[in-house]
Amino acid sequence: MLQSIITQFMSGFSVVAILVIAALGLAIIFGVAGVINMAHGELIMVGAYTAAIVGKLGGNTFIAIPVAFVVVGFLGLIIERGIIQWIYDRPLETLLATWGVGIILQVVMKLIFGPELYYVGAPKILEGGFRMIGRLPFPWYRLFLIVVAILLLALVFYVIFRTNLGLKVRAVRRNRAISGCLGIDTARIDMTIFAFGSGLAGIAGAVLAPIKSVSTTMGFPYAVDSYMVLVLGGVGSLWGVLTGAALIGEAETILSFIFNNVIGRLLVFLFIVIIIRIVPRGIFGYYERR
Amino acid sequence: MPELVVGDHKATETPALRSAGRAERRRYRAPPFVPLWALIGIAAAVALIGTYPYYGSNAYVLSLLGKFLCFAIFALSIDLIWGFAGILSLGQAVYFGIGAYFVALSLKINYALTHPTRYGGKFPDFMEWNGLTELPHFMTPLISTPFAVFCALSVPTLLGLLFGVITFKRHIYGVYCAVITLAESLILQEIIIEYQAYTGGFNGITDYSNFAGPGFLWFILAVVVVFLLIARALTHSRVGTVLKSIRDNDVRAEFMGYNVANYRIFVFCVSAFMAAAAGALYAAWVGIVSFLDAGPVFSIEGVIWTAVGGRGTLIGPFIGTFLVKGAEFFLSGALASWWQIIVGGLFIFVVLVLRDGIVGSIGNWIRKRKRGTTLHQLIEESDQKAHDRQLEWRPGGPPPTDEPVR
Repeated sequence: MLQSIITQFMSGFSVVAILVIAALGLAIIFGVAGVINMAHGELIMVGAYTAAIVGKLGGNTFIAIPVAFVVVGFLGLIIERGIIQWIYDRPLETLLATWGVGIILQVVMKLIFGPELYYVGAPKILEGGFRMIGRLPFPWYRLFLIVVAILLLALVFYVIFRTNLGLKVRAVRRNRAISGCLGIDTARIDMTIFAFGSGLAGIAGAVLAPIKSVSTTMGFPYAVDSYMVLVLGGVGSLWGVLTGAALIGEAETILSFIFNNVIGRLLVFLFIVIIIRIVPRGIFGYYERR
Repeated sequence: MPELVVGDHKATETPALRSAGRAERRRYRAPPFVPLWALIGIAAAVALIGTYPYYGSNAYVLSLLGKFLCFAIFALSIDLIWGFAGILSLGQAVYFGIGAYFVALSLKINYALTHPTRYGGKFPDFMEWNGLTELPHFMTPLISTPFAVFCALSVPTLLGLLFGVITFKRHIYGVYCAVITLAESLILQEIIIEYQAYTGGFNGITDYSNFAGPGFLWFILAVVVVFLLIARALTHSRVGTVLKSIRDNDVRAEFMGYNVANYRIFVFCVSAFMAAAAGALYAAWVGIVSFLDAGPVFSIEGVIWTAVGGRGTLIGPFIGTFLVKGAEFFLSGALASWWQIIVGGLFIFVVLVLRDGIVGSIGNWIRKRKRGTTLHQLIEESDQKAHDRQLEWRPGGPPPTDEPVR
C-alpha cells in the first residue's frame, strides 16, 4: 500500500507538470492583464489541433511547439485587438465575452475539422518508458512533460524578471497609471501579454495533444483546473502557479487512487475552498486588481 | 447622495435623508410598488400564456411555454444576485439541478411503485440496470412527494447559505466567486454521472408521470407572479437599496456601516431558493432531468439570458429567456451549428454594445428623454464630483461636503 502510494506520488509529478503547463498562460493573462479568459481552454484546444495538423504533415511535437506558439499567439492577438481591448476596465464582463469567443472557436474548429477525434502520436524517441520502484512503467513522455513544465516556468521567469518587457509588465501590474505617466505604452503591454499568454496556451495544447484525444471540447476542463490552480496559488505570482499545481496535482492523484476519480476531485475542491477560506487571496497572492 | 447611488426613489427614506425637510419630501413622489404599465403587461402575458391550452393546439409549444417559464425563474434568480448585488455566480445550476433531481427522483420512485420494471422490481429501472436490488434506504423518505419538494427547496437554500458564509464572510467575491461556483457545478455534474445507480447517470431520470397540463401551467404562472412580487419587494425596499449600493461600490457601502457580507449572503440564499424552485417545477413539468441541468454550461446560459434581457431589471430575465430560447427553438434547426456561433456572438455583443440589455436600454432611452441623462452618466458624474471634492480638500479645511448633486 505504502509503495503504491509512493508510486502514485511519483506519477503525480506528471499531473503537476500538466497543470503547470496549462495554467502558465492563464497566470500571465489573468495575473497581469487582469482578463478572466474563459477561452483559455479553447486556445489550448486550438494548439492541440495545430499539433494534429503538424503531425499529419509529417512533423512531431518538437516542431509543433513553436508552430502552436505562433498560431495561437496570433489568434490571441486578434481576440485582444478585436474584443478585449475595449473591456479591460470590466473584468467580470471579460468573462462573458471570452466565453462567447470560446463557443465560437469550438464551433469553427468543429466546422473545419469535423466532429471526429484526432490522435497525435508522441515523438519516436519519447515512446516507451522506464521502470520505477513500483511495478508500473513510467512513460518517457510523462518525463518529457515534467521537463517542458520546468523549461516553460524558467522561460516565463526569464521573460518577466530579466527582460525589458518583463520590467514594464511588472511596472504596469503594480501601478498602471504611474507606468503610463512614465511613458510606458500600457495598452501595448496588455496586448503583448495577452498574445504571449495565448501562445503559452498553444504550447500547452501542442504538448498535451499526445496524452489526450484531440476534440473540440477537450479544453474546458483544463481551463477550470487552471483557474483552480490560480485561485489556490494566488493570482499574479509564478510561485503561486507552481505551488497551486503541486498541491492540486498531488492531492488529486493520491486521493483519486485511494477513493475514486470523482471523490478525489470533490475532496480537492473542498480542500481548495478551505484554503481559500483561510487565505482569501491564495497562498502566494498579495495583490488583487479590483 | 444615496439617491444617486441607487437611482431609485425609496432612498428618500434612508436615515441620512429622513431628517431632511418636509417640503423636500413632499416634492418627491415615490413610484408605486407595481407601475401601471407593468401590471397591465404582466396581466396580459399571464393571460396569453395561461390560456394557450384553450386556443392553441400544439402540445410541443405548450411544453415549451412551461419550460421557458421555469428557465425565466432561473434567470430571475441569477438577476437577483448579479443584477442587484453584483455577485456573478457561474454555478447557479447547482441549485436548479439539486431541486430538479429531488423532485424527479421522488416522482420516479412513485411511478415505479405502480409500474414495476421488467423483472417485477418496484423501484426505478435505472437502479435495477446498475445492479441495485431494492430502493436504497436513504431514499425511502423520498416516496413522500411533499417531503421531496421540501428537500428540493431547503437543501439548495442551505447550500447557498453555507457557500455564502464560507466565501462572502471572507470577502471572496468577483472573479474568485465566479471560478469557485463554476468548479462547484462541474463537480456536481461529475458526481451525477459517476453515481449513476442513484442519479440515472448519463441518461438522467426519465419516464415518470409528469404534470404537463393546463392546471400545472397555471401553477407555474402563479409561482412566477409570486416570485416577481417577492423580487420587487426585495429590490424595492431598503435592503434592495443597500444591495444596489453594494453592487455599485462595495467598499463605500462597507464604510457606511452596512454589513456587506450578510446582505450578500441573504440575497444569495433567496436566489438559491428561487433557482431550486425553478428546478423543481422544471422536473415536474418536463419529465426528464439530466446532468446537463446541473452543469456549468446551463449556468452560463442563464447568465446570458439575464444579460440579454437586462440585468438589474426584473422583467429583463423573462424577456431575455423567451427571446433567446424562442430564437433557439425557431433557428437552431435551420442553422445547425451556426446557431452556436450566433450564441457566442451574442455574448460578445451584449458585453461590447448592449451593456444594459434590452429592457435596460429602453429604460435608459426613456430616462434620457425625460431627464436628459442616463443612469450611467449620473453615477459617473456623481463619482467624479465626489472625487473632485476629495481632491479639493486640504488638511485643516472643512470636510468634503456630501450635499445631493443632482
